[in-house]
Amino acid sequence: MEKSAKNPRTRWGPAVAGAGVVMLLLAALAGASPAQEDFDQHIATLFNRYDTTSLSYREGGSSERTLEEFYSRRQYPGSPPFIPHPAIEVFGEKLACLSCHGRGGWSQVLQRFAPVTPHPEQQSCRQCHVSVNSRDLFVENGWQSVPAPILGRAQLPGGPPPVPHSLEMRGDCYACHVGTGAVTPIRVEHPSRGMCRQCHVPAGDGRPFTR
Amino acid sequence: MPVFSYIAYPVAGEKQRLCRELAALEHCQVIPADNEEIVILVTETCNREQEEKLHTRLNKIESLQSLAMTYGHMDGQTAEE
Amino acid sequence: MDITRRALIKAAAASSAIAAAATLFPGVSFSGWQEMEGASGAIQWRKTPCRFCGTGCGLLVGVSGARAVAVKGDPNCSVNKGLCCVKGYHSVQALYGRDRLTQARIRQPDGTMKEVPVSEALDLIAEKMQATIKSHGKDAVAMYGSGQWTIPDGYAASKLFKGCIGTNNVEANARLCMASAVTGFMTSFGIDEPMGCYEDMDHADVFVTWGNNMAEMHPVLFSRMLANRNRKKHVKIIDFATRSTRTSLAADKSILFRPQTDLAVANAICYEIIRNNWVNWDFVNNHCSLHKGKTNIGYGTEDHFAFTDKAEDVSFEEYTKFLQDYTPEEVEKISGVAAMDIKYLAALYGDPDKKVTSFWCMGMNQHTRGTWINNLVYNIHLLTGKISSPGNSPFSLTGQPSACGTVREVGTLTHALPHGVVMNEEDRRMAAEIWQVPVDNIDPKPTYHTVEMFRALDRGDIRFIWIQVTNPMVTMPNLIRYRNGARKEDRFVVVSDVYPTPTTDVADVILPSAMWIEQEGMYGNSERRTQHFEQILEPPGEAMCDTWQIIEVARRLGFEKQFPWSRESYIEDIWNEYIRFHDDPKHRMAPYALLKKRSGVQWPFVDGRETRWRFNPIYDPAAKQEGFDFYGKPDHRAWIWVRPYEPAAESPDSDYPFWLNTGRVLEHWHTGSMTRRVPILHGAVPSAYVELNPEDAAAMGVVSGGEVKITSRRGSIVMTAVINGRGNPPRGMVFVPFFDESYLINEVTLDAFCPISKQPDYKKCAVKVERV
Repeated sequence: MEKSAKNPRTRWGPAVAGAGVVMLLLAALAGASPAQEDFDQHIATLFNRYDTTSLSYREGGSSERTLEEFYSRRQYPGSPPFIPHPAIEVFGEKLACLSCHGRGGWSQVLQRFAPVTPHPEQQSCRQCHVSVNSRDLFVENGWQSVPAPILGRAQLPGGPPPVPHSLEMRGDCYACHVGTGAVTPIRVEHPSRGMCRQCHVPAGDGRPFTR
Repeated sequence: MPVFSYIAYPVAGEKQRLCRELAALEHCQVIPADNEEIVILVTETCNREQEEKLHTRLNKIESLQSLAMTYGHMDGQTAEE
Repeated sequence: MDITRRALIKAAAASSAIAAAATLFPGVSFSGWQEMEGASGAIQWRKTPCRFCGTGCGLLVGVSGARAVAVKGDPNCSVNKGLCCVKGYHSVQALYGRDRLTQARIRQPDGTMKEVPVSEALDLIAEKMQATIKSHGKDAVAMYGSGQWTIPDGYAASKLFKGCIGTNNVEANARLCMASAVTGFMTSFGIDEPMGCYEDMDHADVFVTWGNNMAEMHPVLFSRMLANRNRKKHVKIIDFATRSTRTSLAADKSILFRPQTDLAVANAICYEIIRNNWVNWDFVNNHCSLHKGKTNIGYGTEDHFAFTDKAEDVSFEEYTKFLQDYTPEEVEKISGVAAMDIKYLAALYGDPDKKVTSFWCMGMNQHTRGTWINNLVYNIHLLTGKISSPGNSPFSLTGQPSACGTVREVGTLTHALPHGVVMNEEDRRMAAEIWQVPVDNIDPKPTYHTVEMFRALDRGDIRFIWIQVTNPMVTMPNLIRYRNGARKEDRFVVVSDVYPTPTTDVADVILPSAMWIEQEGMYGNSERRTQHFEQILEPPGEAMCDTWQIIEVARRLGFEKQFPWSRESYIEDIWNEYIRFHDDPKHRMAPYALLKKRSGVQWPFVDGRETRWRFNPIYDPAAKQEGFDFYGKPDHRAWIWVRPYEPAAESPDSDYPFWLNTGRVLEHWHTGSMTRRVPILHGAVPSAYVELNPEDAAAMGVVSGGEVKITSRRGSIVMTAVINGRGNPPRGMVFVPFFDESYLINEVTLDAFCPISKQPDYKKCAVKVERV
């Protein structure tokens, strides 16, 4: 794939080239944050997730979840996504939602792999995640957000890219970057290395050091 | 509503001209590289018909050697395949 | 929203290409992209309290260029510790509805509205006020604000109307929201606002929610309560309500009672506590006194209704005797609550090893005996001594971001002043001195509470009303009368708002207001926390801060001396003037510089420290007595009140066999004028509906999605039925959310109110329900 793009002989390079490259890139989830706070006091959740994630899930993958879909469910990078499927009002809704979104895996009902929540300790899911019952607007809205962060902004070629999003409520890297529920372009290629933040650190605000 | 992005390779020495010519086209957004002889092109059209017309126009640009698609989106799903 | 989505897709497309290029050409850079991106590094995060409910969550608003682009929870704010609800996360979108009011408008003789420069509208307002005062007297002009007023907004309004013009015609929407909470505090403790704080949630073993659907109305606090239960395992949540909700479903136990009978159940709990000798005698003997007030106190449905309570001392024996009518078995008959459940509740409150926190909000406050039920729940906590210590907390929540900060602390109610009440000469003298007005300016007699204010507008006693940051043409009960009143000839209505609403529809002048972080200001949340926000964005067009609107009009009326502030520092100057009213250890406020720095500061703020539990000398420097010091009352004791059960103003009968209950939903706040303009919130709950009990629906042959007509003695409405939705009323009750201006359920509700607090009861009136 890379070959054809590097030596462009044909006028129309194969469409898969870029997509393949992007898929290989180690990248990170959306969220626009200067990472001014460090949530590493919660890093135990990451270890715990590592310990409890089976090897088969860790190595699993699927191609169905795309970044476009991911962002289409969010109003801005980092906002709580809406519920894209029918959801009945039951309690505890915690159990109902977590039965799929706690550990991920195949949903027979929706015929898809379920994404995993990075904050299963929050029990009142619909406090932030709401259904869509209408696509109409009450009035037009001129609000605009910023684009999603660029994937793979490593400082050095081949280096580990920094984390471009806030770790607040998103400190469990495994939830979004590993397994069948992960969005394809941001799925990590080395899920068996448990201590993600040994190499991937918060991106900072881009301002250089000053004394 | 197709959206595509490409790495555009100019004919040798024609990067500036390529940027001008691409930018002059409707539906095209151009991001030139600062330090390499490549240009990124993002296209956004309203439908397939427009998309095809755009391709016809792109084909006529002399300063363009080739395009490598990096991303595709069509009507709510990706057109990566 | 499609535009946003397109932008995101395009950005994703560009970033894919850049990422691909980066692997092919290591070190390649695209500075053009950086500009276009508004890259994450360029986002600035600025702190503010949330615009919506009284919880007072700290937000960090992401600003890129001149626009607010994202939100995250402020981890430094102890209220929410980084978590928000769906409204908070999308709050910034409410600033950008396409129909923002950006120009002043004046009604023309032909009825149409014409855009004019703001200065021209301000001239007209001042002119009309002067003319009205001249022709009809100073009590013919009125100001109606809300708990969404910032503290400086309310302060400027109070100073202008009470201090300068000399009328007590200042009221606020908070009268409809928490007046009973205020009178509850005043009658039981002699000083307003909760003794505890949100930290109680981390300490309590038992939570009882009294008619309070916290899962939807105060979701962030509810999550904090769930987290406590999750962490400690033994923690119990009991939902005590008239309707089954998300809160009931998440609770360990849901107990349903018939509307209004919470009064009887609260007394029965006290009966059981005394019968089992679970009374904390040390506490009661040293820190409580017992009193009774008037009974059969009416409902205020008639014009000019007046009531003044009179307290009499009673002995503990007399109190015990009074409670003999409230045995669990007797109360079961009135309330429908099983005697066993009443005993269970009493046992939880009575267990000396359990810390108990009670939460309530509109269920107890919007109640024709709202003051009484507040008193009765305090009785339970006082008998058991479970108050003013971590985890032991009778906690009255508020619904608006600054109901406490502006309305209760600044005192924007007819009887109140920033410190004390107009009836008290010393309080008047203090206000006159700080305001630099003659003391005679301040009228010692209160005028109209909110319902009576709109009745006065209808009658013609009030001719000019200026409404800021609220939407009474959606929220007033018995709405048809008050809308017709506002529309009458010779009534001049000024409305300051950010969007067109049913209230701007009846306006003669509309002033475009700056919204939330388009101005500097302060809110005060439910737990005595003052929260400052800076101006983060520019208001659109000629939109102007509500405070500054009042200042402009005040100057046009000749009060330059009292309103001398500059545009650069008026918020700071007003704050510094205002806190002179509260310069004692019972109520001292934090200095301006500290408010700017922190994500909220609790008062009393004494010697550099916040007071988390009042009346407890361990935490409260104003408490001097050993054990506890209820210093709000002259006897330094908390008052236990003898308050009986009395029925609702209007109960179901053969003609109108259903209770009508109204309220909110999680996604929409207040009248929805902001949240409905947020696409995802509107998409989640696009319109109001009526919840029916499944058996009632089956008996009527109504299916979910079918139409029903709800009729009361005042009005009727046709709307869509929801069966087994997120809430489920018991048989004989229907529930309708009030946020939707297309379905004005308040045309159906009754304007009966608590005679002590004057707060209307939106939870109970009689209706008939028919299939359409």
